[in-house]
Amino acid sequence: MYILIILLPLISSLVILLLGRNFGVRGSNHFSLLCLGIANLLSCFSYYETVILKSSIHINLFNWIPLNLFDASINFHVDSISGGMILIVNMVSFLVHLYSTSYMEGDPHSCRFMGYLSLFTFFMLVLVSSQNYVQLFIGWEGVGLCSYLLINYWFGRLQANKAAIKAMLVNRVGDAALIAGVMLIWYNYGTVNFHSIFPSNQNFASTLIPIFLLIGAVGKSAQFGLHTWLPDAMEGPTPVSALIHAATMVTAGVYLIIRSSSLFEASSIALIVTGLIGAITALFAATIGLAQNDIKKIIAYSTCSQLGFMVLACGISYYSVGLFHLINHAFFKALLFLGAGSVIHAMVDEQDIRKMGSTVLSLPLSSVFILIGSLALAGTPFMTGYYSKDLLLELSTKQYYLIIVCWLGLIATLLTAFYSFKLINRTFMLYQNSPKNWWTVAHEGKFNLLFPLFVLSMGSIFFGYFFKDPILGSVIHPNLSVLVKLTPLLLSGLGVLAGLFIFLITKNLWNLFFSFNIIKPYDFLVTAWGFDKIISTFLVSPLWKFGYKTSLKLFDLGIVETIGPFGLSKRVVLLTQNLSKLQPGYLFNYAIIMILFASIFILIN
Amino acid sequence: MRIKSFIITSLILFILGILGVSLNRTNLILLLMSVELMLLAASFLFIIASSFFDILFGQIFTIIVLTVAAAESAIGLAIIVTYFRIRGKISIKLLNTLKG
Repeated sequence: MYILIILLPLISSLVILLLGRNFGVRGSNHFSLLCLGIANLLSCFSYYETVILKSSIHINLFNWIPLNLFDASINFHVDSISGGMILIVNMVSFLVHLYSTSYMEGDPHSCRFMGYLSLFTFFMLVLVSSQNYVQLFIGWEGVGLCSYLLINYWFGRLQANKAAIKAMLVNRVGDAALIAGVMLIWYNYGTVNFHSIFPSNQNFASTLIPIFLLIGAVGKSAQFGLHTWLPDAMEGPTPVSALIHAATMVTAGVYLIIRSSSLFEASSIALIVTGLIGAITALFAATIGLAQNDIKKIIAYSTCSQLGFMVLACGISYYSVGLFHLINHAFFKALLFLGAGSVIHAMVDEQDIRKMGSTVLSLPLSSVFILIGSLALAGTPFMTGYYSKDLLLELSTKQYYLIIVCWLGLIATLLTAFYSFKLINRTFMLYQNSPKNWWTVAHEGKFNLLFPLFVLSMGSIFFGYFFKDPILGSVIHPNLSVLVKLTPLLLSGLGVLAGLFIFLITKNLWNLFFSFNIIKPYDFLVTAWGFDKIISTFLVSPLWKFGYKTSLKLFDLGIVETIGPFGLSKRVVLLTQNLSKLQPGYLFNYAIIMILFASIFILIN
Repeated sequence: MRIKSFIITSLILFILGILGVSLNRTNLILLLMSVELMLLAASFLFIIASSFFDILFGQIFTIIVLTVAAAESAIGLAIIVTYFRIRGKISIKLLNTLKG
């Protein structure tokens, strides 16, 4: 029966993609909802069994590559780590399917959309339910492929095509590192099974392997350096962003680190690098989030920042806290994305928050849902984010060799609250800035658009409190002074106030503000620290030039063609043409040649 | 008279025939005559050799060569006459329609 969890999304996607035109839009919507709903229900049972009762499910399906030690069998293996992942993947995916039936209404290809969403869910389930790195890699590449198909869903748009190719290629950098890591694991430990790898001695490979796995996670989880695909992936429809950024794709990198915890523990260098990359990403993405004006991009950078927190938690060896934050984050980030989608839907596909405002009057439910999501994100006490993020920051204060991680995380917390509430303030509260006819027609969506938001907001409020014990297990809360314990909360409160009041300051203060030449740091932030510019100047365009000038012009069309077929045939033709000039048609020339060669023949013989 | 002077004479004749064939650029009949000269020089050599070594085969060969030369010159002249009928000229320079 548990095998249905993984099979139902596959059945749903195959049936809809192959027969969707026979079912029609309504039929395929209902079919996929039925499949995903059952899978969701079953995954709740498996969550109860695996996480709360601490058992594990292992169903061996078939042996894929039967080399004697290289045991790459395809199986359905759920333990306490993947149980939570399967729950959030199926739950968020089901809610996103339900949401899409309303959000994508009237889209001519929405059967294809549903099929891709189900396929995405299937590959993510393959990823999290594997017991070895090879099956994990199938899911890893599968979600990359499905993200390409989904970002590129409106394939007529050039920007969507470019963003999808970028997502695919930037992910591929990390995938190459993951392949290298898996090969090194097999070479060093003789197996690719998660449960058989126990690094016993310290050597060079035991540092190299986690570094490679970390690069793979950096690509997939959009950490500092390979994050550039994530904001561009906003070109897809909003439910896709919710699925990619909340529950599924970006969490795969963190899941890989959590799965490979025994490998990461073998090397202190890898742990320090992991912690630093996580902390830098958290701060970096939070600063960029301040200056963005696209409602989806703000939430995308916030995802990037929260993933940085998860990697940070793994870097300081608290993997269960990372996993807990991962699961909590899925709830409130899906809520934020779907809420943003609701606003965008109501505002006639306008994504710029500068052209919104005052929508709390026309969209009261959406604004409440986004408020709940933002409060959970900012770590308000007793909401979901509080139980993971504040615990994570408290734990990081005890890392004396990596205390900078704590500082970066605290600043990121401040900025997170700041940009979340800047978004709320600008979208819902301030003066109305959109054309009047949009504002008057703006209204809440239907039931199937609001119900997922309701479920996710319940998850954002209650999930952390009810499920902190089974997931966290025996994490000992550090003994800290009250002030230090309250620091993240105070910083969040400060950020909230700053976010709420930034647009309420008076004209004199604005003048003072602009006299500081604020435009340069703002430019720096709004262009995401100039990362795209740097990469395209120093990496992409030199590589393109090298590819055109050296590989193509000089080598393929130059040296190889000249030595190879083209030059050779030309040479032979030229030679025969020269030889045939020996026969000019004059008899006396023939006679001379004949006599000459006859006399040479006589002389030599 | 030594055999050497005979051989040298016939060789000079042969070389004159060769030069006639290769250096002649005007007249086709001249070419045919040079070929005849070469054949004559060759048969002369045959006769010298047969009388010097006292073997009769050389003279038999000479008679055969003479008949062959006669036939060759007859056919060659016939070709030239036919060619002249078609082209109106028998200059060798104009015989260059077939190029390599």
